[in-house]
Amino acid sequence: MKIILRLLLPVAALALVSCATPKKEVSTATAKAAVGTDALDDYETAIEVSDPIEPLNRATFALNDGLYKWVFTPIAKTYTTIFPKPVRKSIDNAYENVKFPVRFVNSGLQGKFDRAGKEAQKFGVNTVAGVAGLFKVSDKIESLKDVPAEDSGQTLAKWGMGHGPYIVIPVLGPSTGREVIGLAGDYALNPINWGFVFTGDADDWAWIPPTGNTIRSMPDQLDNYNESKANAIDPYTAVRSTYIQNRNSAASE
Amino acid sequence: MNRRPFVALLFSLPLITKGAAADEAQARLRGAIDEVLAVSDRVSSRSALATTVRPVLQRHISFETMTRRAVGLGWKQFNAAQQKKATDLFTTLVIRTYSSKFTPGERPVITYKTATAPAAGRVDVPTTLVYKGSHYAVTYRMEQISGWRIADVVIEGVSLIANYRSQLDSTFKQGGAEAVIRSLEQSVSRPS
Repeated sequence: MKIILRLLLPVAALALVSCATPKKEVSTATAKAAVGTDALDDYETAIEVSDPIEPLNRATFALNDGLYKWVFTPIAKTYTTIFPKPVRKSIDNAYENVKFPVRFVNSGLQGKFDRAGKEAQKFGVNTVAGVAGLFKVSDKIESLKDVPAEDSGQTLAKWGMGHGPYIVIPVLGPSTGREVIGLAGDYALNPINWGFVFTGDADDWAWIPPTGNTIRSMPDQLDNYNESKANAIDPYTAVRSTYIQNRNSAASE
Repeated sequence: MNRRPFVALLFSLPLITKGAAADEAQARLRGAIDEVLAVSDRVSSRSALATTVRPVLQRHISFETMTRRAVGLGWKQFNAAQQKKATDLFTTLVIRTYSSKFTPGERPVITYKTATAPAAGRVDVPTTLVYKGSHYAVTYRMEQISGWRIADVVIEGVSLIANYRSQLDSTFKQGGAEAVIRSLEQSVSRPS
């Protein structure tokens, strides 16, 4: 059981971190009807993604929905009850600061060297003046407070790779063929996973950082998920649309 | 006579016009947001906010435009009564969506960035919003519809209209205008 937990939690963390980030989507049929043919709307608001396995995706979506509601939400509530908001904020800050290689490497891979430089400055400032990243001092510096966070999925998009099929991953939630590859890249680049990447799960300490990351990111991720489907007419389509739109927007920044 | 300054002025006129439009639209948006915040300061619950803020939002947001675009091509096949019904329901849904995020006593901090004019009669106003410690990128799409009014809201790259269109378009294809109205009624009657 312990081994299963050790394996599952880092994966869940990866998945949740991915699904918690607001993202966007739309089905092929829906988007084709809307794009370019609607004289009422020239905003190009409908975004296209292929959803060839929609029945399976819908089943996984329902499964995940139950998992989020009955397993993850109680964990998230326990976490927010134990830790007051300022403490949770500092924990979030520290994890985000450690994730610096994901943003730095991907900024560089996209040729955004100015942005990579700013990420390095942010990391330096937050690590030194922010006490190992517990305080996000960079938010008080005008040039560093609004640096868009790059990730591997955005790099693949920049390199011209399309989304591929829309996939709802068990536990992790919405994704696409491209974003699955991106997730693997982000996982490898994130130092909190290096215990696993370099030593497997043999060392007792290796599961602690990713498990902590999973739990600390749950409240926000669940909030984002719940907001995506709140007041939706069809929650599956609403979450897919939110996911694809958000990812496309992030890739274009 | 040196005509160059005149020619330069001539070519810069569209830019000046667009700049003026952007300023005007942004000023209108600021006024609208200030008005909504003043209302939210006076109320003590989410349900009270939804009721009190409705007439204010109807002045500043073109819900008819939003509904039309959210439905998409099928809108042309709605009769006048169906269009009105759908607009009323969609208005309720949108107001409920946003008022459900409201916590009495919490005030957002909004920073306005440089507005752009993507086309004549249209202005996008990007903002950053900090609410309860979280940062959000919010762009308001303004249009000249009886003055400058909000026609779409894009939060973290997610357009409200695009999101609902993805859902309503397939609903329309399955059952026409009545199915769209029925699905909106079901959403509105569900507890938020």
